[in-house]
Amino acid sequence: MGIERREFLKTLAIASGTLAGVSSLKASDKAKLNPDRFGVLSDLTYCIGCRKCEWACNEANDLPNQPLDSFSDTSVFEQMRRPTSEKYTVVNSYADKGLDGGALNVKVQCMHCENPPCVSACIVGALRKHPDGPVTYNASACIGCRYCIITCPFQIPTYEYEKVLTPQVRKCTLCLERTIENEQLPACVEVCPTEAIIFGHREELIDVAHERIKKNPDKYIDHVYGEHEVGGTSWMYLSNQPFNEIGFPELSDNSPAELTESIQHGIFKGFSGPIMLFSLLGIIMKVMKKEEENE
Amino acid sequence: MKKLYMLAAFIFTTTLINGQLVKPNHSKDRTLANSQMNDYCRTCHTCENPTRFNPCFEQCARHGAQFSSNKSFEAGPDIVILDKLIKLYKPVIFSHKLHASMSEMSGGCTHCHHYSDKSGEIPACNKCHDEKADFTNLNEPSLKGAYHRQCLGCHREWGHENACQFCHQEIGLSDERVSTYDKTDIVGVPHPLIKAEQKYVYQTPYKQGPVVTFHHTDHVDLFGLKCTDCHKGDNCSLCHDTVKREEKVVKHVETCGKCHTEDNCNFCHSTKEKPAFNHSISTGFVLGHYHQDVDCNNCHQSVSNFVRPSTNCTDCHIHWAVGTFDHSVTGLTLNEYHEEEDCENCHIDRDFRVEPTCDNCHDDINYPEYIPGDRLSK
Repeated sequence: MGIERREFLKTLAIASGTLAGVSSLKASDKAKLNPDRFGVLSDLTYCIGCRKCEWACNEANDLPNQPLDSFSDTSVFEQMRRPTSEKYTVVNSYADKGLDGGALNVKVQCMHCENPPCVSACIVGALRKHPDGPVTYNASACIGCRYCIITCPFQIPTYEYEKVLTPQVRKCTLCLERTIENEQLPACVEVCPTEAIIFGHREELIDVAHERIKKNPDKYIDHVYGEHEVGGTSWMYLSNQPFNEIGFPELSDNSPAELTESIQHGIFKGFSGPIMLFSLLGIIMKVMKKEEENE
Repeated sequence: MKKLYMLAAFIFTTTLINGQLVKPNHSKDRTLANSQMNDYCRTCHTCENPTRFNPCFEQCARHGAQFSSNKSFEAGPDIVILDKLIKLYKPVIFSHKLHASMSEMSGGCTHCHHYSDKSGEIPACNKCHDEKADFTNLNEPSLKGAYHRQCLGCHREWGHENACQFCHQEIGLSDERVSTYDKTDIVGVPHPLIKAEQKYVYQTPYKQGPVVTFHHTDHVDLFGLKCTDCHKGDNCSLCHDTVKREEKVVKHVETCGKCHTEDNCNFCHSTKEKPAFNHSISTGFVLGHYHQDVDCNNCHQSVSNFVRPSTNCTDCHIHWAVGTFDHSVTGLTLNEYHEEEDCENCHIDRDFRVEPTCDNCHDDINYPEYIPGDRLSK
């Protein structure tokens, strides 16, 4: 019996070794991105917390809206808010330790990752990364599994739980229709009075961000949030306070999608995974049969 | 080596004099091989054929631009009217003079202006900042962004609010701002109306009289003090930094003591709240129908040079005489027989506080049974 177990364990070790080797493979079929793809740079030091972006977003996306004046109400800052199925973007306020008695306001919305975990997790391809930057959603393909909601490192996508028959996953679209199809600015960018958020080619925005840090090294934290986080995001931030103090998650430079995709795609490359699995099963069966015969 | 330093210094100075430390970014991907002026060229050059010696630079702030103007703020305009959004809002009336004189306390013109050309002229914002935001030019804000960053930077810090209406008056609403400027000034410049409390009640550590009531409105309206008479050493943040308000200590002894030199502590310090100033109670002189509306200064000179006037009418009313005094203001119109009489015929020794007498001319009639004219109905 001892010999049997040893032999079985040996076979298992060989199999797992093969799996580990496969997992180091990189996903090869990563979506091709346009080198001139778009992004947004949000300079928190310019944001005045007027919440006009929330209003403009609601208008542009036909979301339930309130009169513009009601957005001057800053009492909403008393608690942290997250985007909801009826609000693609919200502004949160944090005490600004740099500015005497001031506030540092952070606009929260979909970051439109370069290698989005939600796209990777979507089993029906309802979420896609547009080559020009936005992460798009196709409601007609969605089956409502909500894997995208679980996998998002920024906890952005929301679900219309209140709609029983036609629920959709809801999140910022980067105003795809306005920007890429009609050469307009995203609604929030267009309305921003201080141009705290600027829209442009992602590579240029990174240059602009580093230029600002270089010109005002005392003002800014030397970190462009979103340049490298989870493999880079389309939406990037400049701040005068450490990002982990103002609600930004500390994330590695690798997209969570990379690991899972490389394992999965590696295993199934050239149908190698199933072949290996069945070979392993074959070996086990053979060993078992041999033992039976011996008995 | 010395020559080298000289050369470096020369190059540096000439660049400075030129007003702009510009490194032309004639990079490879924007080659000038075809010698054609394109839009990129025109962002810096104004003429069609810029040369090394005549680059005809657009007068705009660029990389490392300088501010060389040494003009006084008074050389600038008093008021700048920003009316680009005239269809949406009333024009923004920007008081340049007010802001410029405030900036004197915090770094001068460069607090807002970041560029002047080599002659010291400061170009208008819209000379460089485009009216329309464009994602092809990410390096500088558009006119909207430039204005808002400039204004809200301070307004937010001091007022802790960002109400659009502070600058943008909606069309159709009456413009209250312009008419509410307080012409007496608080920081040496016209200041928007300050809403002060009518009275302030302070709790002090003075045990014999911890409560001090300060009637602010009386001091301003009644005693005619100007803001700067008391608020002399105050800077903007005394009022504008609302966060620190609680920590502020009013240096009342120094401030009040300047005028109240002869008053003792009990004048201000009390165990309970004091009523407002009342001329009858405080001085014993009842202000009647006519004196009620007279400015304090008319009798007491200025507040800083306070005079206690005599209670004798003619000490002040020296011109009261027949022909110049309209007797009907007393409520009695003199009839034609008495119109020409000298005052002292009825008012003995011109003492108008005591009752007049008829004895000088008449034996059988007396005031007030007989009156020398018609009593005006009250």
